[in-house]
Amino acid sequence: MSLELVVFAIASGLAIVSALAMVVVKTPVKSVISLVLTFFALAVLSVLLSAPFIAALQVIVYAGAILVLFLFVVMLLNLTQEAEGHDERPIQRLLGLVSVVALGGLLLGVTLKAGAPPVPAAGGPIANVKDEIPILGRLLFSDHLLAFEALSVLLLLAAVGALILSKRRFD
Amino acid sequence: MEGAAMNAVVPMTVPLNAYLAVGTILFVIGLAGALLKRNTLSIFLSIELMMNAVNLLVLAYARMRGDATGQMVVFFVIAIAAAEAAVGLAIFVALFRARRTIDVDRLSSLKW
Repeated sequence: MSLELVVFAIASGLAIVSALAMVVVKTPVKSVISLVLTFFALAVLSVLLSAPFIAALQVIVYAGAILVLFLFVVMLLNLTQEAEGHDERPIQRLLGLVSVVALGGLLLGVTLKAGAPPVPAAGGPIANVKDEIPILGRLLFSDHLLAFEALSVLLLLAAVGALILSKRRFD
Repeated sequence: MEGAAMNAVVPMTVPLNAYLAVGTILFVIGLAGALLKRNTLSIFLSIELMMNAVNLLVLAYARMRGDATGQMVVFFVIAIAAAEAAVGLAIFVALFRARRTIDVDRLSSLKW
């Protein structure tokens, strides 16, 4: 058994267990923390898939920025516990569970059956970080330049929108 | 595989199907959270998890094909998720200030 396989097994096991914990746990703070764990495990998987740049982005942007934002909101709204009391919509929840299990089985079956299409050997895998960053940079500023510019406008709009939404007064 | 391997597809040690299975399982867990949780914030967290599961699938296929464009797609998804989180959380804060709750069962004014 190679080292890569061992790391893959540990990281994917951690990702799945902490994702399950995120859904099962009732306290929002614990949910966010276990999602941070999932994202770290996913970053490890990204490194295994020879995408170290994406792994760094995952840790910095997702675990570092987005989930900290979530934590701030959890504390700001003082969400200690999910609303207790009896479930008002038991039938809908049961139907939701059934559809999740059905769709999950279907998706798993289809993706595993689809599996690997015949490989058109286009280029090679990106070998290491030193080679990867120039390739990604060139792609970003040539083929995807328009999308990149649109993205910067979108981020600006999101920042302005968030500001306006949170400044609005409610009577 | 240093340097010389740039133009040849190096076989993956971990089979592609293993990554596909992990990504799909994570996606389904996220879907379960989005459908079954009652706290709006937890639903939002589950949606983030679903996006990351799809990111993993895209990365796995990008690795298999040896094509960096897949990484570009993931890059854009992460950036858009950041924008979405900012606006979504601002909406939750505004919602909480107006209604004093973010429990989905209590927020039914948009219901037909």
